[in-house]
Amino acid sequence: MALGSRVAAIVWKDLLIEVRTKASFHSMLFFAALVLFVFSFAIGPDTPLLKRIAAGLLWVAIIFTGILSLSRTYQAEEAGGGLEGLRMAPGDPRGIYLGKLAGNILLLLAMETILFPASAVLFQLEIARNALPLAGIAILGTIGFSVVGTFYAALTLNLRAREILLPLLLIPALVPPLLGAVNSTQLVLDGNPLGEAAVWVRLMVAYDVTFFVVCTWIFPVAVEE
Amino acid sequence: MGRSSPLVGWLGGAALTLMLIGSAIGLFFVAADAEQGEVQRLMYVHVPAAWTAFVAFFLVFIGSVLYLVQRDPRADRFAAACAEVGVVFIALTLATGMLWGKPTWGVWWTWDPRLTTTALLLAVFVGYLAIRGFSDDPDRRARWSAVVGILGFIQVPIVYLSVVWWRTLHQPPSSPRSVSSEILWTWMLNFLAFLLVFSYLAARRARLARIEAELETRQAYDV
Amino acid sequence: MAVELRDVHQRFGRKRVLRGIDLSVEPGSSVVLTGANGAGKTTLLRVVATLLKPTSGTGSICGLPLGEGDRIREHVGYVSSRGTLYDDLTAAENLRFTARLMGARSSDQRIDGLLEEAGLARARDQRVRTYSTGMRRRLSLAALRLRPLDLVLMDEPYSGLDTEGMSMVDRMVGEFLHAGTTVILATHQAGEATRLATAGYLIEHGRLVPAGATD
Repeated sequence: MALGSRVAAIVWKDLLIEVRTKASFHSMLFFAALVLFVFSFAIGPDTPLLKRIAAGLLWVAIIFTGILSLSRTYQAEEAGGGLEGLRMAPGDPRGIYLGKLAGNILLLLAMETILFPASAVLFQLEIARNALPLAGIAILGTIGFSVVGTFYAALTLNLRAREILLPLLLIPALVPPLLGAVNSTQLVLDGNPLGEAAVWVRLMVAYDVTFFVVCTWIFPVAVEE
Repeated sequence: MGRSSPLVGWLGGAALTLMLIGSAIGLFFVAADAEQGEVQRLMYVHVPAAWTAFVAFFLVFIGSVLYLVQRDPRADRFAAACAEVGVVFIALTLATGMLWGKPTWGVWWTWDPRLTTTALLLAVFVGYLAIRGFSDDPDRRARWSAVVGILGFIQVPIVYLSVVWWRTLHQPPSSPRSVSSEILWTWMLNFLAFLLVFSYLAARRARLARIEAELETRQAYDV
Repeated sequence: MAVELRDVHQRFGRKRVLRGIDLSVEPGSSVVLTGANGAGKTTLLRVVATLLKPTSGTGSICGLPLGEGDRIREHVGYVSSRGTLYDDLTAAENLRFTARLMGARSSDQRIDGLLEEAGLARARDQRVRTYSTGMRRRLSLAALRLRPLDLVLMDEPYSGLDTEGMSMVDRMVGEFLHAGTTVILATHQAGEATRLATAGYLIEHGRLVPAGATD
């Protein structure tokens, strides 16, 4: 299907550029680690306390880094005059959204595969034994973040002061997936049976599905000129 | 440009009258709350303001959808006017909520689900207005803010639910206090008054927007 | 009609960039658009490319109504003055991406063939970042040949090129016309192609004025 190959082409292109330049991934990782460090310093070396709020710190680091990387995924397009090149493709412009979305999700997940173990070391968390549920939560949270993040990033691309507008629009929207991810992560790390985290998982799934549908549907209006 | 319709004038008069009546009742005629005392009278502003803000938000959503479907600038002006006036009511809700909270709970802020959602709702409103503020062209401004208006509206129930669950996780929910019919009627009266005030202000704002649009057309220059 | 525009207006806030544009372009013909910088040439091209929705007006591109951009773009190619190349990819990778994006064949053979014809075979695996303006332009134009097109739009194709580069552009335009593709060129420089164009228009104060094909 033409849409599928367009989406695949965009993902391939973004990942290729990412691998080629490497700078972005490394700086994202470094930034996330820095956020964790700074928060830890600010709160103090009280390990039991840090352990209790580790899930929150981790997801805050992921979100801050994610917001930074969102603007980056569109920067490469700017050299070619915004999304013009992509918009000249025949067929449904939603392919642009889906392609960018997939790329963002993969990039963020790649970063999390390093960030989670790093936090485990910093905060003495037991992630190995909870690897599977944590992976599931990470995927759901990352999808939630990327779905609205990719959308708002495309929307604000052509606006002045987009560095402020993007976080302003994005952060209220991210409250549900943030709460869902942090609470389910913390519950899993505290050794609670997965059943207790179920309500948060359900919240994330509902959020992800709802906004994936809405954002995909309304995307052409966001990039229309 | 023409006069604004006389209907709007009547609307303004009715709004003012009802506001005075509602305020008088809330301040003087209803008995003070047994537990909370006079502070509880703030609820006669807080609750109707909250309801009005939600109505405003819903209207922004409707206006946004209408604009995207019909591409009629009037729908966009309607949505924008509702947002600008709505943000005032949301701020009022938040302020009265905090003013009530200080004597009642002893603190200016708690992470009460309704208060928190109200704060986030304010952020969504502000985001909507910010997008409009940073757009140059009326067509694009209408398009993009319509998108934000729709997404923002869909976010709110999910945000509310998630904050409620978050609070029940960390603190048992406060048992809902039953409300006397006297209080309820005062709320309804003030709600009606606020709705009229909102409608009046939004109508004036929308008219102003229409004049601005006409002015822009007349001031259009060639490249 | 390759392009049919009726009473097209484009406004950006208070700026009226296009005022009542009426344009008819016969299929297979070549049209030159001239005009001062900022006169509206790029805006008009972008409307035809379906990248911009006009404030008002109707029309059709390649027989399809203006509103059906998704289908129109199957038949239309557009090269802007800046080009839409990715600096961190090689020429071959840029072409391969564009081919897949546009739903065209992207075999190595095809791509190598196009690079050869564009005189970029030696720079095939160098990142576009290292390219000169002329090389970038060659690559952007080569991308137009990835799939059969009914309409090709070029915005300032001569800018930044030396005489050899300009002849290349002329050659490409000639090949497009030979294949029956309609070509619309916006430029304020004269080249061979502009001299041989079927029709010429000047954009002045947002209106189209028929002009000789040469300035």
